[in-house]
Amino acid sequence: MKKVRTADDSILTDEFLRQLINVGEVDILVGLPTHNNAKTIAPIVATIQAGLLTYFPRDRAAIINADGGSQDGTPELVLNAAIDDLRRRSNVSALRTMHVISTQYASSPTRGDALRSILAAGELLRAKACVIVSPESTQIKTDWLTKLLRPVYAEEVDLVLPTYSRHKFDGILLTNLLYPMTRALYGLRIREPYALDFAFSGPLGSQFLAQNAWQDETARAGSETYFTLNSIAGHARICQSFLGTREHVERRSSDLIPALRQTVGALFSSLGPHMTLWSAATGSQPVPTIGPEREFTLEPLRVNRKRLREMFSTGVAELESVFQTILSTSTLEELRRIARLEEGVFRYPAELWVKTIYEFAVAYHKAVISRDHILQALAPLFRGRALTFLVENRNGPAETVENNIEALCLEFERGKPYLLALWNGRE
Amino acid sequence: MTVDVRPAGENWYKRAIIYQVHVRTFFDSSGDGVGDFQGLDQKMDYLQELGIDAIWLMPFFPSPLRDDGYDIADYYSVHSSYGTLEDFKKFLASAHKRRIRVIIEMVLNHTSDQHPWFQQSRSSRENARRDWYVWSDTDTGYPKAGINFRDTELSNWAWDPVSKSYYWHRFFSHQPDLNYDNPAVREEMWNVMKFWLELGVDGFRLDAVPYLVEREGTNCENLPETHAIIKELRRKLDEQFPGKMLLAEANQWPADLRPYFADGDEFHMAFHFPLMPRMFMGVKLEDRKPITEILQQTPEIPPSCQWCLFLRNHDELTLEMLTDMERSYMNDSYAQEKTMRLNLGIRRRLAPLLENDRRRIELMNGILLSLPGTPSIYYGDEIGMGDNINLGDRNGVRTPMQWSGGWNAGFSVADPEKLYAPMIQDPVYGYSAVNVVSQKRTQHSLLNWMARILAVRKSTDVFGCGSIEFLYPANHRILAYVRQLGTETILVVNNLSNAAQAVELDLRRYKGNILIEMFGRNIFPRVGDLPYLLTFGPYQFYWFRLRRI
Repeated sequence: MKKVRTADDSILTDEFLRQLINVGEVDILVGLPTHNNAKTIAPIVATIQAGLLTYFPRDRAAIINADGGSQDGTPELVLNAAIDDLRRRSNVSALRTMHVISTQYASSPTRGDALRSILAAGELLRAKACVIVSPESTQIKTDWLTKLLRPVYAEEVDLVLPTYSRHKFDGILLTNLLYPMTRALYGLRIREPYALDFAFSGPLGSQFLAQNAWQDETARAGSETYFTLNSIAGHARICQSFLGTREHVERRSSDLIPALRQTVGALFSSLGPHMTLWSAATGSQPVPTIGPEREFTLEPLRVNRKRLREMFSTGVAELESVFQTILSTSTLEELRRIARLEEGVFRYPAELWVKTIYEFAVAYHKAVISRDHILQALAPLFRGRALTFLVENRNGPAETVENNIEALCLEFERGKPYLLALWNGRE
Repeated sequence: MTVDVRPAGENWYKRAIIYQVHVRTFFDSSGDGVGDFQGLDQKMDYLQELGIDAIWLMPFFPSPLRDDGYDIADYYSVHSSYGTLEDFKKFLASAHKRRIRVIIEMVLNHTSDQHPWFQQSRSSRENARRDWYVWSDTDTGYPKAGINFRDTELSNWAWDPVSKSYYWHRFFSHQPDLNYDNPAVREEMWNVMKFWLELGVDGFRLDAVPYLVEREGTNCENLPETHAIIKELRRKLDEQFPGKMLLAEANQWPADLRPYFADGDEFHMAFHFPLMPRMFMGVKLEDRKPITEILQQTPEIPPSCQWCLFLRNHDELTLEMLTDMERSYMNDSYAQEKTMRLNLGIRRRLAPLLENDRRRIELMNGILLSLPGTPSIYYGDEIGMGDNINLGDRNGVRTPMQWSGGWNAGFSVADPEKLYAPMIQDPVYGYSAVNVVSQKRTQHSLLNWMARILAVRKSTDVFGCGSIEFLYPANHRILAYVRQLGTETILVVNNLSNAAQAVELDLRRYKGNILIEMFGRNIFPRVGDLPYLLTFGPYQFYWFRLRRI
């Protein structure tokens, strides 16, 4: 990894600071966190540039790539996405210079460190609005820029979160845990609390940058979720904007644990500091949304149900001693029961799933064992719940899928007194 | 009459600083409310002190004045309001005595409809001068030609009830175009030019040159036949009046203007129209991009030729050479009120355009005077005069010169009601606040600053005759370039931003040179291997002479 030089207590390298001086004040900052994204990054940068030129031709804009030490030439591809090529191709012209700069942040590739570098740049450049674009957003269209930025820029919204058209089985962790639990906790129906493409106001970015959570490993890993939850806690003005299709990304089985750390870990961690807020919230309210709240695509998808079922049963058996420290007796007993069910009748009911999650959340808060072990222990259980969701919605139209998600959300809301009782030690 | 006027030597126009003035606006010696040649003559000391080298006079010929004199009714005389031909001759001698050259306006393309030539031409189809203008029985010819004054004209053809046919006009309908396909017209227009050259004028600003000839199926602009006519005029000029100069008014893209220089045998100079709005755009955007882009697109011209640069003139700030997006940005930035807009432009003076911000006015003048070309300064802009957008057409930028805070700003002893145009009287730009007398008494006034910067500009030929190379520091708010002529090198660095800026310049090729700031003559550190760091206040600029000592 290239050695980078910073002042003793600065998160910004000297070279990055020099580049920021040259950029000067901006109206819009586009943050692009990357790490070995050479396969996808060039067209994404080109689309961002086209979006800025099309929708914000008069505004001062800069694209800032915070790279985690890519070995595949990602930063070079970002910098080489020449605007002249773009002009020839799409016949758009620019009034102003558009800066594209890249920096390698000074530690290991963590999304939190990337976000922190981008937020620091946004503050130094006094950006009015910032947008973060995921290097995996290969479906990005030029209008994403305006859909995400315009509410911040023109309507004084603090945080714009995306909604997408996804495959009904894409983001099961989101639909079965993150969305319903965030909604139940904080009373806001935010469909993508773990957003990879989102926009926020300069002041909100500065506020988050000033948080002390940057040294916390969980917060750094789940910085996007943290950002959303902190914004809710800070009573930021939030809206959602429909961006269109987000392509289903095939995940490996081994991706689940890091995903749990980035999302569920951050969500569980937020319970302590925001207890006053979530304990007082009842029911849930919709969040202003531009465009549809959600769309589902329904193409057939091959799923290895047998393997999911096995991973669940094996996990319940092998991690029994761990579960005994996390779960209540009744919940564990119930899990044992369903682990014995034949594949054809297997079902991880919503009520049990909610109870499980709330017990995990409290165990995480109380750190009954290592918090990372708690998150890892959740993995086989999540696979069991995922299998149930897949089976329940296998042939269902979009409406059925949405109804099932809504039912689960209501289950999380109904179960919230149980969470509070656990939290307060009454259960 | 031949007078040895400075700047001396060949290609004087490349080193000159031009001052544009309408005799009507400058000083009224007769007390009739209209400026005149005797008045202009009386103010020659002022112009000499300012440091200009040439006066460009707007049309002063007999005219019904329906287009501020661009509708000429007699090419061989002086409008009675401005004096007599004798008065003109005296003024010319006075200017030459002060080593100031005189460039006059020559409207070749059209005359007034009151000109005797047109009166004869329209009188009957058999008249000998019938073919001096472009007539047609229909109004359908040359459909590809654009309409220049689209706010007032619907067509380039106008019906003449006298001759019961249509005549061609690229500008106002009271300005019929001359027919340059007629050799007699070409000969007569050369005779007109010869008349004034023999009196001693030093050059002509030729108005609306792209439109001289019409051809079906074209946009009737920049045609080869037009170039042939210019070439012929230039040949005669060089043969009979060497050292005289032709300046083209052609609002065209640089690439389309380039043919007007040909091989150095058409125009000596041409206005660089597209650059001017981009200078304003660059300062508003705080970004050098518009300026560097247009200069990158500006083709090389023959060594004897020169671009004529300006910030403002008697017309609207034309936005024709901009994209729709750029035009819309300029209008929103500089002409928020609809009344400030005219045709495809903005009818405002320099100081109001720049919100009377002294730093921006200085920066814009600094850029004007340091880019390659001959600068033209519009009268009154050297003291920061304002405009009156309540006057129609472009008259708001043609108000009387503000000499003092006294009666009629010292312009005229006439009753105010008799003035050709009302004085500017608002609290910010009115003559009690903005005038020559008060600025002369203030050491740091805009007027005295202008005189100083003109003197610095004239201390070297680099600005007028040198090459330019842009530096592209990473800070896009900084416009930096190196001007070079022979062994002399000047570095110009402009901060286009309203905030303090730092910039690192790659000056390694000038390693070992010390930088001498040209206004205060202070020495800056020697150039080494490291990037050369400069810091700027808002809108600040530096001119450095590079010296290897």
